[in-house]
Amino acid sequence: MSLWFELAVSGLITGGIYAVVAIGLNLQYGLMRILNISHGEFLMVGAYLTWLGYTVLQVNPLVFLPVVALALFVAGVAVYRLCFYRIVSTAPAVEVIEARSLLVGFGLLYLVQNLAYLTWGADLRGYSFLAEPLEIAGARFNLNRVVVFGFAVAASLALLAVLRFTLIGKAVRAMMQSPTGAQLVGIDTKVLHPVVFGAGLALAGVAGALLSMIYEISPAMGEPYTVTALIVIVLGGLGSALGSLLGGFLLGVVETFGMHFTSPSLKMVLSYGVLIAVLLARPKGLFAR
Amino acid sequence: MTLRNAFGVLLAGGLALAMLPWLLSDFLLALALSCLMYAGLAVSWSMFCGATNYLSLATAAFFGLGAYVTAWGAGALPYGLSVLAGGLVAAGFAALVCAAVLHLRGAYFAVITFGLGELVRHSITYYEKAYEGTVGRIIAEAPESTTVYWMVLLVSTAAVATALAVRASRLGLALRGIGSDEERAQTLGVNARRSKILAFALSAFFAGALGAAMAVRWTYIDPPTVFNPFIGFQTVLIAMVGGAQTILGPIVSAVVFSLLTEFLRLQFPYLFLVILGLLLILLVLYLPGGIASLFVRWRWRRGNA
Repeated sequence: MSLWFELAVSGLITGGIYAVVAIGLNLQYGLMRILNISHGEFLMVGAYLTWLGYTVLQVNPLVFLPVVALALFVAGVAVYRLCFYRIVSTAPAVEVIEARSLLVGFGLLYLVQNLAYLTWGADLRGYSFLAEPLEIAGARFNLNRVVVFGFAVAASLALLAVLRFTLIGKAVRAMMQSPTGAQLVGIDTKVLHPVVFGAGLALAGVAGALLSMIYEISPAMGEPYTVTALIVIVLGGLGSALGSLLGGFLLGVVETFGMHFTSPSLKMVLSYGVLIAVLLARPKGLFAR
Repeated sequence: MTLRNAFGVLLAGGLALAMLPWLLSDFLLALALSCLMYAGLAVSWSMFCGATNYLSLATAAFFGLGAYVTAWGAGALPYGLSVLAGGLVAAGFAALVCAAVLHLRGAYFAVITFGLGELVRHSITYYEKAYEGTVGRIIAEAPESTTVYWMVLLVSTAAVATALAVRASRLGLALRGIGSDEERAQTLGVNARRSKILAFALSAFFAGALGAAMAVRWTYIDPPTVFNPFIGFQTVLIAMVGGAQTILGPIVSAVVFSLLTEFLRLQFPYLFLVILGLLLILLVLYLPGGIASLFVRWRWRRGNA
C-alpha cells in the first residue's frame, strides 16, 4: 500500500516538472507554430542561474525564482525579436514556419549548449537545499521534492488561470483558435507573440530552477526534457495547456510505475511506447474532442 | 537538363570520385568519405521529405539499424551483402512504420519519427544488455578503408540516381502533388498511401545501406554511436540548407557542411559548435530558400542580362 502511494507521489512530482516544461513549449507552438527544439537549453540556463545565485550570491533558490523567470522572459523576447520575428513575418505558409523555426531551434541548441560548456565546463554541479526527509502518510520524501512539486503545480495552475480569466489570456486563446480572426477583432500580434514566447521561456527557466534544487545540473541536461516535453504536448494535444498539465502527470506516473516494475533502463522505451500508442489510437491527443 | 544528361554527369562524376583513393592522403580521403555519406543521406532524405513536405527525423533510426545489421552479421555475411541487407531491413522497417503513422502530418509526424528512432535505439540497448550480455559489439574483420570508400560512393551515387529517376517518374509527380495539397492529389486519383510508403521505404533503404557501409569504420559499435540523433539532425539540416526540393542543393550543401565542420573543428576546437549554430541561424533567416536558391537567382539574372 505505502509502496503504491510512494510511487504515485514520486510519479506526480516528476510529472509536475514535465508539465511546466511542456506548457511553455506548447504555448509557443500553439500560438506561433514555433517548434522550439532548444526549449530544454533555456531550462538548463535557468538551472545554472539558480545555482549561481545560491553558490555565489547565497540567495535562497525559491526567492531567486522570480529573478530567473524575469531574466528568461527578457531573453525570450530578445530571441523572438532576433530570430523568430523574421521567420513568422516572411514565411508564406504555416508549414514553412514550422520547418524554418525547427532549423533555427537547432541553431540555438548548438549555440546555447556549447556556450554553457565553454562557461561552466562539463562537470556536474549541484547544491543541497532543503534535503531533510518529510513523512507523509507513512511514506518518506525529501522536503525539497515536495516543495518543487508545489511550485510546479502552482506555476501551471497560475498560467491556466491567466489564460482562462484575464483579457490577455483570452487574446492568447483567440489567437490559438484563429490567428486571422483574432487580428480582425483588434488583437495586436506584434505585442502578443514576443510576450507569449518570453512567457514560454520563463516557464522553462522556472522548471530548470526547480530541477536544480533536486538534481545535479550539467550543460547537456536540457535535451531529454525537450524530448519529454514534445511527448507530453502530443499526449495532451497541441495548443492545450490543460492537456499538457494532465499529460505531464500521466507520463510521470507511467514512467515511475513502469520503471519500478520493469527496469530503469527501459524509461525511454516506456515513454515512447506511451506516445506511439496514444498517437496510433488518438492522433489528436488524449483529450481531443 | 534532361534525365539522360543528368545520368551522364552523375556517372562521370562518380568515376572521377572513384579515382580519389589514389590521389588523396588518408586524412583527405576520410573527409571525402564523410562528404559522400552526408550527400547520400541528404539526397535520400529529400527524396521523400523534400517532395512531400513531411518532416521525418527517423534517419538516425534507419542508419543505426543498417549499422547493426552489419554488426550482427559480421563474420557470417560478406561486406557487400551486409550493406544490401542493412538497406533492406531499414526499408522494411520504414514501410511498416509508414503504414502505421502516415496519417499524421507536420509536427506530429516529426515527433513520432524521432520517437520511433529512440524507441529502436533503446530497445536494442535493452536487448543486447539483457540477452547478449553486452553493451556494444566489436567488428573484428574490417575491410580496407578504400573498399569502404568505394562502397559508400556506390551507395551515394545510387541514391542520387534513384532520386533523379523518382523525380522524373509518375511516383515523383504523385509525391510533389501530395506535398502541395494532399487532399487534392487524392481527389485527382493519386494513391497517396501507396506512394508515401513506397517513397519512404526507398529513402530508408539508402540511409540503412549507408549505415551498414559506414559501420565498419568504427571498430566498436554501440547504440549511442550509431543511433546518434545528430546524424539525423545533421542530415535534415544539410538537406534543408541546401534546398530540399532540389537534388543538387543537398549535395553541394553536404560538401560545404562537412568541410566547414572539419575546418571549424580544427581551427576553433572549443567554439566550433557555437559558430555552427550561429551560422545555421543566419542561413535560415537570410537565405531561407537554401543554397539552391542562389543558383536559381544566378540563372535568372543571367537569363535577363
